[in-house]
Amino acid sequence: MSVRRYTIPAVAAALLVGLSTASAQTKVESIAILVPEQGTDYGWNQQGVDSARAAAEAAGVELIPAEGLGYGDIRPTLRELAADGVGLMIAHASGYNTAAPEIAEETGVPVAIVDSPDKLKPGLVADYTLSGHEGAYLAGRLAAKTTDTGTVGIVVSGEPPSWNSHSAAFADGVKAEDDSVKVLYAVIGPAAYSDAAGGKRVTESVIAAGADVIFGQGNGSSFGMIQAVETTPATDGSDVMFIDVIGDKSELDTGHLLSSVMWDMTPVYTAMIEDLEDGTFGTKSYAISIADDSVKLLKTPQIPDATWDELMALRQDIIDGKITVEPVFDAQAVRAKMANVSAD
Amino acid sequence: MEQLLTVAFLTSLLAGAVTAGVPLLLAGLGEQVSEKAGVLNIGIEGMMLVGAYTGFVAAWSTGSFWLGFAAGAAGGMAVALLMALLCVRLGLNQIVVGIALTLGAEGITALLHHVQFSRTYPRLPGVETLPIPFLSEIPVLGRALFDRHPFVYLAVLMVPLLVFVFRRTGLGLHLQAAGDKPAALDAAGVSVVTTRTAAVLFTGAMAGMGGTYMANIGAGLFIPFMTGGAGFIGIVLAMLARGRPGWVLFGALLFGASMALTTALQVGGVNIPTDVIQMVPFAAVMAVLVIFGRRAKLPAALGLPYVRGER
Repeated sequence: MSVRRYTIPAVAAALLVGLSTASAQTKVESIAILVPEQGTDYGWNQQGVDSARAAAEAAGVELIPAEGLGYGDIRPTLRELAADGVGLMIAHASGYNTAAPEIAEETGVPVAIVDSPDKLKPGLVADYTLSGHEGAYLAGRLAAKTTDTGTVGIVVSGEPPSWNSHSAAFADGVKAEDDSVKVLYAVIGPAAYSDAAGGKRVTESVIAAGADVIFGQGNGSSFGMIQAVETTPATDGSDVMFIDVIGDKSELDTGHLLSSVMWDMTPVYTAMIEDLEDGTFGTKSYAISIADDSVKLLKTPQIPDATWDELMALRQDIIDGKITVEPVFDAQAVRAKMANVSAD
Repeated sequence: MEQLLTVAFLTSLLAGAVTAGVPLLLAGLGEQVSEKAGVLNIGIEGMMLVGAYTGFVAAWSTGSFWLGFAAGAAGGMAVALLMALLCVRLGLNQIVVGIALTLGAEGITALLHHVQFSRTYPRLPGVETLPIPFLSEIPVLGRALFDRHPFVYLAVLMVPLLVFVFRRTGLGLHLQAAGDKPAALDAAGVSVVTTRTAAVLFTGAMAGMGGTYMANIGAGLFIPFMTGGAGFIGIVLAMLARGRPGWVLFGALLFGASMALTTALQVGGVNIPTDVIQMVPFAAVMAVLVIFGRRAKLPAALGLPYVRGER
């Protein structure tokens, strides 16, 4: 009697738990990624699309890339993709992080957004504000080792959290390597991601102010920065070198690409698909790290082997915890830091 | 802050101000002609973008910056032709058509760039300049203002040319009548539609060359969406200048100088929010032109289609 008394509720409870778990778990058949520019920019857009493709192939799901959407309203595209039945929409631009959660609420299709860790919503909205700050720190060490004028520059196309953490870590790296090196900081515009002319203009001014190594962060605008680096000599007459972010522009290099803080977002998107299927999507943040090479410095012929070996030793120190690099996502904190390092 | 006080840095800032201002000058002057004739040309951003693309392709394939400007003008005029057809000839809503043309231009140039350049990102070499004797030797100002590509001088010369056309020619009178009292122009035996069409095509050519300048000289390459609202700033300049080309020049240079100032403040390590610094160009231009241009007026028939016989 007592066995039966406890067994029936236990079985019923197990069934309920099983059913509720089953309802939270979802088999993902396809995912979509939405990017503002074409996925051929050797940077943010391309890495996003390539990483999503790699994650989709690994998980055996279909990828629908929506490229070149611009920086305007993407609600119609999101609705169309939701109607097509995709299981996840990755809104790969900070400008999309208002529209995407709205459409997720409206359609019930989960979205992943960037630069909004406070908008997490279980099962519906995940954030992947990534930071390659450890790589940027190494880039700062490299810049300080490379500069002849004793001044390096940071040029950014906006101040999203990822760029901010890169900028702060780069400045920390420069100062850790050589405290006498000046760091100049300039923002092209509030969201000047495709402003190639602005990138060239601002970079030329930073070079004229004495910088001979430029750490450039932009999408399309980074090509303007590179154009400035290639056509403007440093104040001492030497060549200016460029450190890129996220992608690998080696194919386009004319001898000025010093390195790049490269990102691989495949582990992040893979984890998102797994979390959707496990029912834990939207409950945690995602990260990339130099420990698993999802963040790494690009080796180019412009980096002497001895310098590269020193950088790899520093990388190991970061992995071992001997050097700690904290991300700084807040634009105001970055500006305060830059006001200090430019005055040194 | 001492890096702000070097000749190289000040020259670079001033040169940057000119480089940023020239596309706005061309777009603003073009828009002014269109508005004078009564057409609110919202599609100017799209004309700049197409001009940037066609101008870059021509310069990149031929190696000639001048052919680039010619192709940029043609590209801008091609978009303007659609504007003229839909708004001037068919009388459709100028704002709706203008926005549609801009969106279409963004899409088509992004697609063409993707097909043609997305794996190579070709870049143009640095431009040859034409130093003006004596003036180009003035410290800081000389290299920034008087050692430029000849097109910069031509762009500035468009200002007195347009002043002359507006004030001293029959064409200027026709343009003004097309914008203020199109029925009177029609009654005088001059075609309003032809006058407005010519004005819109001129706007397209100017905007196209502005886009070309931005791509070929400003950046040295073409990137999708690279105009980034410059056409809309041109519209603002034209509207605030209210028919006076000199004020467009002043507004464009003020805008460029303010942008250079934002760079200077940042490089100097001034710790105030970047958004505030970036607001300087917009606030400066609007404040100056609103204060000093408030007595001027916009054409009475601006934005209104003209249909013969309709009141």
